[in-house]
Amino acid sequence: MAFTPKKQAFNARINAVTLGTGDKSIVIGGENVLPFYTFDAPIENKPKIAIEISDKGLAGIVSPGLLKFYEGCETVVDMAKKAETMEGASAICLHFESADPNGDNTSVADCVAVAKAVAEAVSMPIIVMGCKNIEKDAELFSAISEALQGKNILVLSSREENYKTVGASAGLAYNQKVGAESAVDINLAKQLNVLLSQLGVPAQSVCMNVGSSAAGYGFEYLSSTLDRVKAAALAQSDAQLQMPIVTPISPETWGVKESMSPEEESPEWGPLDERGIEMEVCTASACLVGGSNLVIMKHPAAVATIAKFIDSLM
Amino acid sequence: MAKFITIGERISVTAPSIRKAFAERDPEPILLRCEQQLKAGANYIDVNIGPAESDGEEIMQWAVKLLQERFDNVPLALDTSNMKAIEAGIQVYNRSKGKPIVNSADAGDRFNRIELAANNEAIVIALCSANGIASDNDERMAHCQRMLEEGLMHGMEAEDLWFDPLFLVVKGMQDKQMEVLEAIRMFSEMGLNSTGGLSNNSNGMPKHIRPIFDSCMLAMAMMQGLTSAIVNPNDQRLMETVKTCDIIKNNNLYADSYLEI
Repeated sequence: MAFTPKKQAFNARINAVTLGTGDKSIVIGGENVLPFYTFDAPIENKPKIAIEISDKGLAGIVSPGLLKFYEGCETVVDMAKKAETMEGASAICLHFESADPNGDNTSVADCVAVAKAVAEAVSMPIIVMGCKNIEKDAELFSAISEALQGKNILVLSSREENYKTVGASAGLAYNQKVGAESAVDINLAKQLNVLLSQLGVPAQSVCMNVGSSAAGYGFEYLSSTLDRVKAAALAQSDAQLQMPIVTPISPETWGVKESMSPEEESPEWGPLDERGIEMEVCTASACLVGGSNLVIMKHPAAVATIAKFIDSLM
Repeated sequence: MAKFITIGERISVTAPSIRKAFAERDPEPILLRCEQQLKAGANYIDVNIGPAESDGEEIMQWAVKLLQERFDNVPLALDTSNMKAIEAGIQVYNRSKGKPIVNSADAGDRFNRIELAANNEAIVIALCSANGIASDNDERMAHCQRMLEEGLMHGMEAEDLWFDPLFLVVKGMQDKQMEVLEAIRMFSEMGLNSTGGLSNNSNGMPKHIRPIFDSCMLAMAMMQGLTSAIVNPNDQRLMETVKTCDIIKNNNLYADSYLEI
């Protein structure tokens, strides 16, 4: 007798969330099966890749491949336009690293100007990533959400300490999408979603960043968090965990020694650029099979590889 | 595991205001109690119209439509000894939020309610007693087995028979309490769903004591594998116990606001 596998489609679904507007808008989530389990039920919206660009431009980039890709770009706007042409790209992630009060401390007004210029120049959806300073990020997200009204951007992220400000401005006042960020803590991930919903932010406006780490840097904790979130969302129909997952990859992987140590210092590790690409590919692919609906990446070679990886599994 | 299912018991002719509302077809008291129970987190709402021998069909249809239209097709348990009234209620019942529950069959005079549920693709509460309370768990499980077979024979899924061990009053039957809990364990080990009128256990106790007994009994019954209960969802202590036990049993993921959702 032929073996007939039992289909494991769930009654529950991940929320489908739209980012951006017009032809280039994207939808993430919407599936009622485990990641890439297309044999159980069709997955309408394949996972997407957003390209990270720092507001510092090319400063601080050591990867020869990245420098080559953005050759001739003089401004962040130039880079954003170039990033849109990257094979596999679906969105642009503007990372306001320089806003950090302990660093360059770029003013909110200057960050807003950059965000507006980029938004005018590109047609892909925009994800805004902060500088990790709670107060500054809250201020920054509010101002950018207001300036980019109607663009349906995603702000990364609101956290336990600032969800009220960020949720009220980005989510409620300016009708943007809100990321809810917790650091590898599944109970807090759920709690933040509950708090945002109690604030009045619709579930369809929320994405989760349940934490990120480079492969080899405590990644197993992230991996089990992703698994547990998807299991609760689908198998237990937990409406407070059915938000799609967005995972920043490149901000983690390009900061570890494997991606940064110069070849003369670590000759046994091989070419610098390849190491960085491999770190990005390993981490992104592991997050995607764990359930990330969108990954944020940087290097064109890594992005092309992951785009092919996604297409092959769909 | 799935979350525990609560069936709100407060729309019942045992309450004089509700009996009057059914008799006069006065929607307000019924809608109010339904809303209170749903707000408190009830999953199903029991509609107990009493024996309603003369006009049961009409009353049940009126009540089902009234509640489902107002409360987004809230799933209901149809509670009456009048079989025709149950069937009439199912005719107008919208299943989008869950199958109707037939409340209830037993292994005695109400044995044919199982077939009724099967014919109407409903869930049935199967009370493990025949004529009078089962004398021990051998008898309880014999009733359970017989009703299960009856359901399966008529094409039901086992999961649609919710077995009721019959909660017994502590004041008078204190020595039988552990037996009831053991019966729940046996249902659970057979992979069967279960339910019951929880507050029977605290019958006759002072008002301030009842929630304490109901909550403790519920926690112990959930430990044994009880999957549902007919309860007063507006008993805050009880609902907090349900939600907390669901967390401890890993039926639901903990978050600091778990009591609010």
